[in-house]
Amino acid sequence: MSVKYENVFFAYGSTEALKNVSCEFNSGRTVLVVGQNGSGKSTFLRLMNGILKPSRGEVHLGDTSTKDRKTSELARLCALSFQNPDDQLFAQDVEKELRFGIDNIGADGSLLDPIVEAFHLGEHLKSNPYSLTYALRRLVAIAGSAAMDTPVLALDEPTAGLSIREKKFLGNLISLLKNRGKTIVIVTHDLNFLLPYADDLLMLSLGEVQFSGRRDDLFTRNDGRDLMKRSAVGYPICARISSAAGLNKVCFDAGAIVEEMTKK
Amino acid sequence: MALISFKNFSLSYSDDSPPALRGLNLDINELESLVVSGLSGSGKSTFCLAAAGLLETYPAARQGGTILRRSRGEGTGSGMAVVLQNFYAQITYLRSSVFEEIAFPCENLGLPREETRRRVEEAIEKIRIGHLAQRNPLELSGGEKQKVVLAAALAVKPELLILDEPLSQLDPETTAYLADVLLELKKEMALLIAENDPYLTLKVADRLVVLSGGMIAADGRPDVAINRSTSEYLDLPAWAICVDEATRRGIIREEIRSPAYELDYRRAMRRLRDRI
Repeated sequence: MSVKYENVFFAYGSTEALKNVSCEFNSGRTVLVVGQNGSGKSTFLRLMNGILKPSRGEVHLGDTSTKDRKTSELARLCALSFQNPDDQLFAQDVEKELRFGIDNIGADGSLLDPIVEAFHLGEHLKSNPYSLTYALRRLVAIAGSAAMDTPVLALDEPTAGLSIREKKFLGNLISLLKNRGKTIVIVTHDLNFLLPYADDLLMLSLGEVQFSGRRDDLFTRNDGRDLMKRSAVGYPICARISSAAGLNKVCFDAGAIVEEMTKK
Repeated sequence: MALISFKNFSLSYSDDSPPALRGLNLDINELESLVVSGLSGSGKSTFCLAAAGLLETYPAARQGGTILRRSRGEGTGSGMAVVLQNFYAQITYLRSSVFEEIAFPCENLGLPREETRRRVEEAIEKIRIGHLAQRNPLELSGGEKQKVVLAAALAVKPELLILDEPLSQLDPETTAYLADVLLELKKEMALLIAENDPYLTLKVADRLVVLSGGMIAADGRPDVAINRSTSEYLDLPAWAICVDEATRRGIIREEIRSPAYELDYRRAMRRLRDRI
C-alpha cells in the first residue's frame, strides 16, 4: 500500500512541527525518515495512522485519506510502534500484549508465530512486559504492532536501546515483512544499521522536506552530502569508508564494500 | 581511594530470575572514563543503577558482596548524577519551562539562587538547547527531552556522571557534538557510560568493561577490548567488520590486527586496500 503526503501542515499549539510536507512512497518500499531532533519525524509518523490529523493538506494510505477516517479504522491499514515502548505496553503478559492489536482489528494473527520466532520471544510469552529489559520491551512493542499484519508498518526509533543481537533480530523482521510486500516506514538516527535495508529516504529539517526519494539517488547526487549535513544527519560511516576504500560509489554494508574493493 | 568499589557484588531481581550481576569486582576511579558494553540483559543497566546507589533498598537476601563509596568531599558538587535509560521518567513535568526543569536538581541540592542560574545557563549552552529554554518540557520531542535530562545532570557538577545510553535518541550531528562534550567533561569528572556504540566508546573511554551474563567478559583499553572475541557482545566499528569480512572470505591472508580496530578509519581502510 502506498503512502502519500500532500502539502501537509501540522502544529502543536503555536509550534509548527510540519510545514508543507509532500512525499510519496510506493507499496512495498522500506523508507527511512531521518533528520535532527525536533525536525518533525515522530509527528510525521503519528499523522500516518491518524493519531494526529493534518491541520492542512492530506495524508493518503493507498486510496484512503486519513482525513475522514477514524483512527480505529486507520489502524487496519497502518500499525505504529512508539518511540518509547513504555508508552505502548500495558498487558499483563507478553502473549496478551502481542495479541492485543491483532484482536482489536480482527486480524487473523498468522504473522504472530513468525515474528515471535524472528525476535526469539518464545521463552518470554508468560513474562510481565515490565519485568523485561528495555531492549526486550522494545522488541515486544514492535512485535505487537507488526503482528497486526497491516499493509503499512510505522516504527519510531526501533533500534534505540537494542544491542547487536536484537538489532539482528530486527533486521530479520524487516526482511520478513519486506518479502510479504509490506510498506515499512522507520524513523531513525541509526543509519549505520538501517541503510542497507532502505529503498527510500525522507529527510526532514525544521519540519520541511529536504529530500524525498530513492536512497541511492541521495548518495549519487552532487549535493547529497551537503543535504545530509544540513539536516544534521551527518555523512554515514558506510559512505565514509566506501570513499576511504577508494570506491567510486557508496556501498551500504561490509560485504558489498569488500566485494567492490576486490573488483578494482 | 576509588570513588566506588564493587567487592564480589551480586544481585538478583527475583527469586526465580538468574542473577543480573554475579560476583563483580571492579573499581571506578576518580576522573576515569569507563564505558560498559554488552548484550541486552548482560547487566549494564543494573550495574549503572547499583553504582548510582539506586538498588540499595533492594532486599539484602537478593544481594551479595558490598559496594564501597568514598565519602563525598567538601564543596558545592554532588556525588553523582544519573541519566537513566528511560530518561522520560526523569522529567518532573512539574515545571513549565526547560530552564526551570534543569534547575530542579540544583535546587534540591540547596544551591544559592544565583549559582543555580549560572549552572543552568552553562549546561544549556553546553548541550546547545538555548532555543528550548522557555519551552514546556511536555511539548518536546523524545530526543529533545533526552538533551534536557542530560543538561540537568551536568548542572549538578557531579564527581561521577552515570549515563545509560545517553545518546540513544539523538541525531548524528548532536551525537558527534556531545561526544566532544563528554571528552571535555572527563577532565572534570568520572564518567560511567552504558553504551554499545563503538565510535563513542573509542572516542571517549579510557577503559571498556564488557559484561556478559552479569560477569566481566573483558576489561581494558577500548581499542584492545573491542576485538574479535568480544564481537559477539558488542558492535564493531564498520571498518573492522570490513577487515573481518575480507579475512573470512580469504581475500587477505594475514590477520590485520592493528590499527583496523582503531578510531582512524581512513588509515584502517588504506591498510586493507593495500593488502587486497
